[in-house]
Amino acid sequence: MSSEDSSGQVVVRLDGVRKEYGDTVALDGVSMEIRAGEAVAVMGPSGCGKSTMLNMVAGLDRPTAGSVTVNGEDLGRLDETGLALFRRHRIGMIFQFFNLLDDLPALDNVALAAQLTGVRASQARKRALELLDELGIADRRDVYPSSLSGGERQRVAVARALMNRPALLLADEPTGALDSVSGEQVMDLLLDLNQIGQTLLIVTHDPQLATRCASRLVEFADGRVVGERSLERAA
Amino acid sequence: MKAVWRAARAAVRRRRLQTVVIGLVLTFTTATIVLALALLESSVAPFDRAFEAQNGAHAVVAFDPAVVSDGQLAETAGLPGVEAAGPFGQVVVEAPPGNELGVPGFNGGRATLVGRPAPDGSIDEPDLWSGRWATAPGEVVLNVLPPYGNGGMPEREPSPLAVPGGPTLTVVGYASSLSATADGWVSPEQMAALHPTATQMLYRFDDNATPADIDAGMAAVTAGLPAGAVLADQSYLTVKDAVVSGTGQYMPFLVAFGLLGLVVAILIVANVISGAVVSGFRHIGVLKAIGFTPRQVVAVYLVMVSVPAVAGAVLGTVIGHFGSQPMLTTAFRGVGLGEVAINPWVDVVAVVGMPLLVLLAALLPAWRAHRLPAAQAISAGSAPRTGRGRKAQLWLSGTRLPRSVSLGLGLPLVRPARTALTMAAVVLGVMTVTFASGLIASVTKYAEVADRTEAVQVYAHPVNPEAAAAMDPEQVRSTMAGLPGAANVVAEVYIPVSALGYAQGVDVDFLQGETAGMGYAEQLVAGRWIGAPGEVVFSSKLLQQLGKQVGDRVTLTLGAGSADVLIVGRMMGGELDNAYADWDLLAAMAPGHEVRPDWITYQVQLDAGADVDGYLAAVREAVPGVSPQANAGLSQYTLTVTSLSTTLTLVLGTVAALGVFNTVVLNARERRRDLGMLKSIGMTPRQVVLMMVTSMAALGVVGGILGVLLGIVVHRQVMPVMGEASQIELPPVLLDVWQPLSLALLGIAGVAMAVLGAYIPARSASRLPIAEVLHNE
Repeated sequence: MSSEDSSGQVVVRLDGVRKEYGDTVALDGVSMEIRAGEAVAVMGPSGCGKSTMLNMVAGLDRPTAGSVTVNGEDLGRLDETGLALFRRHRIGMIFQFFNLLDDLPALDNVALAAQLTGVRASQARKRALELLDELGIADRRDVYPSSLSGGERQRVAVARALMNRPALLLADEPTGALDSVSGEQVMDLLLDLNQIGQTLLIVTHDPQLATRCASRLVEFADGRVVGERSLERAA
Repeated sequence: MKAVWRAARAAVRRRRLQTVVIGLVLTFTTATIVLALALLESSVAPFDRAFEAQNGAHAVVAFDPAVVSDGQLAETAGLPGVEAAGPFGQVVVEAPPGNELGVPGFNGGRATLVGRPAPDGSIDEPDLWSGRWATAPGEVVLNVLPPYGNGGMPEREPSPLAVPGGPTLTVVGYASSLSATADGWVSPEQMAALHPTATQMLYRFDDNATPADIDAGMAAVTAGLPAGAVLADQSYLTVKDAVVSGTGQYMPFLVAFGLLGLVVAILIVANVISGAVVSGFRHIGVLKAIGFTPRQVVAVYLVMVSVPAVAGAVLGTVIGHFGSQPMLTTAFRGVGLGEVAINPWVDVVAVVGMPLLVLLAALLPAWRAHRLPAAQAISAGSAPRTGRGRKAQLWLSGTRLPRSVSLGLGLPLVRPARTALTMAAVVLGVMTVTFASGLIASVTKYAEVADRTEAVQVYAHPVNPEAAAAMDPEQVRSTMAGLPGAANVVAEVYIPVSALGYAQGVDVDFLQGETAGMGYAEQLVAGRWIGAPGEVVFSSKLLQQLGKQVGDRVTLTLGAGSADVLIVGRMMGGELDNAYADWDLLAAMAPGHEVRPDWITYQVQLDAGADVDGYLAAVREAVPGVSPQANAGLSQYTLTVTSLSTTLTLVLGTVAALGVFNTVVLNARERRRDLGMLKSIGMTPRQVVLMMVTSMAALGVVGGILGVLLGIVVHRQVMPVMGEASQIELPPVLLDVWQPLSLALLGIAGVAMAVLGAYIPARSASRLPIAEVLHNE
């Protein structure tokens, strides 16, 4: 499926989503859709609500009002365990600061996501190694996160996110903590993933990341969607 | 300083749960320490303390009113170095059997009644622990110890006391006199009506430390009185010996518990506080990074832990003071040692010492943080060094265990220092419970072995010499043995004999009947029980004094007769400082030696499940001249020790569990980011709980096993020391008090402690708001 193909099924639907933290309104009636195979970048100034929106889609937080549907599943109907299972099977997440377990080497960090689903250790490691190999860091499989470079850590995080073949890959400032070279590598990786059909939702401050990887840009300000446009991917 | 205070206040607010836990730990431990110190203080010379509190009489003297007048006696109060109270009328009454009031003289024996207007006065102020003083004719106050438990009240409504040939006295109160000046007190008017046969005077002497001092005091008092004025006198030193040989042997046990409480409380506080500071290393790094000087950083942490520590210490002192006082008073009153007042120094030590201990415990890790570069402190707090326990973790991840379980099992390997702290808390808790339960079991077992409660259910002795004179002891024994429910009856009589080469006399307990199953064998420390008339068993203390051992021979002499006997066994000492032999030895050694029937006590072993009360009634009916009494279960002393020990064990177990709880809270806190990440990739709340609880359960298993082993080792080391202090040589049965099942349960206690301690913070961790955690961390 091409990234430009907008006729795919709706994978993510936000309908009038509002999120309040006390007196602060983080999201104010956000509605948007993401279709299968799309790569959507969300941009906006700090505090505009883009990460909050991502958390809603990931089931990490619940809206005060409105609904979030991912892959036909209304997240508002799921309890905590249901949300955990949703995250386990439907989505993969990449964070700005990687969020790897420092106690485990790269391979086990990746395999962990599958092992939580009950997959046997040998099978999980085999798939994890395949992913690390695809991402070009198979030789670093026994290295602990603290000894990996930033780019390597983010690749391990990407491999972990892809471990359970998620319908949707969510990325929160995936290049925010990386040097330019590592950032480039991660951008290439995300682009490649989208080009083989992986649906992406990327929250970023980085225009280069948005134009390089995304097919559509959604702009946020003050908790609202203030603009939306298709992007021509940079070479 | 303002910045330090602000940073410390913010740290306290941010760590509310930890602050509460520190406060709770300090509250419990301080209360424990107050109890432990008060216990230690009360256990040092308890007789002297209680005796002084009651203004005890150094000499209790009964004078003959026919020889000396009250006026002459009153003049003795004016002698130099002498203080006196009296004269009080005194009479000995014969009490019929069946008046089971718990007072020795009031059950078919002779009881001494004294007429006193009030329990106060310059000398001998009995502790009126229930009811009121006898102020009107027809009333009596009994000298009896309060029963332990039952709210300190008598177990049954006392029946009136019918004085043969005299009035019927109603029991209006109970009092306890350490000077043992009477079995009961009546008003002076009542005493006059009873026609006193003696006049009692109570004396205190300035010089009173030795028997010679008391003798000198008595000589001074009686110097100006007519010859034959003194009917009887009693030195407080005799009473002291009797009390100390009874309660004294339990005091080392109480001291051990006091020390245990002290040590465990200090260790747990040190553990919790150092854990709190170690977990704050990252925060320390941040403070340094923003310009706090190393000294200020240390100050922040000391203030942070001091706030809950001071609050906990104050609260704990108050709870400890007001909780311990009635507990100790009940305990010490129960053994006749009066009320216990907790000295102010105990409160001061607790309220000042505990915060100081906290500061010391915090200072060591804080000082380490003081020297750490900021960056290193930050990384020390946020990420463990990698590669720790790697092989084990790799192995665990490859097992078929659910991943949440294998992750949990691997967690303790990541942070060895934290694991060691948690483990220490579990080990301390289990060790305490193991040691304490062993101590309680040993004390209980000692009481059972010493009192032979499992073997002998009834003791009986003649009501009085007159009744006994008409008895044929052999006939009495066979009659009692023939009553329904009786399995075996043994007669015993104490006869003082001499041992060749030993200046002091030896009290030999001559036994008649089948003695093998009467519980003596359990008291053996070495050798075996007597099997023939030519054999004796001696207490270890007596053997030591004789310079003999099992297998040696010794010559016993009685009057003109003597016998060469073989020592076949050694028994534990303490109260049982005596010797045992077969009755036939007495006959062989000194044929015709007088054995008065009223000297004989009959021990009865009943059939299993036999009705004790029914048997007692049957004995009273079949042998009216004999007063039977049930060999009641645990003594007051034992109940006192076990009750105090159980309370301390529960408190220390709770404190240890709080220590575990605290370390799990810290663990969960440190792993917030990891937990958030794990939840973000699909770990369910139940899996989070399982992982956290598993991590602690693993420590609980190891800690439980170590704690049980250490508890046994400590018990085996401490018991003989306490036994030595109590002058008891412990037979193996007192050390082998654990059964495999009880050990397994104690081990499981460690797991339970860890799991329960982990569950609440684990549940809280499972509910962490992921987005917030990942964003903030």
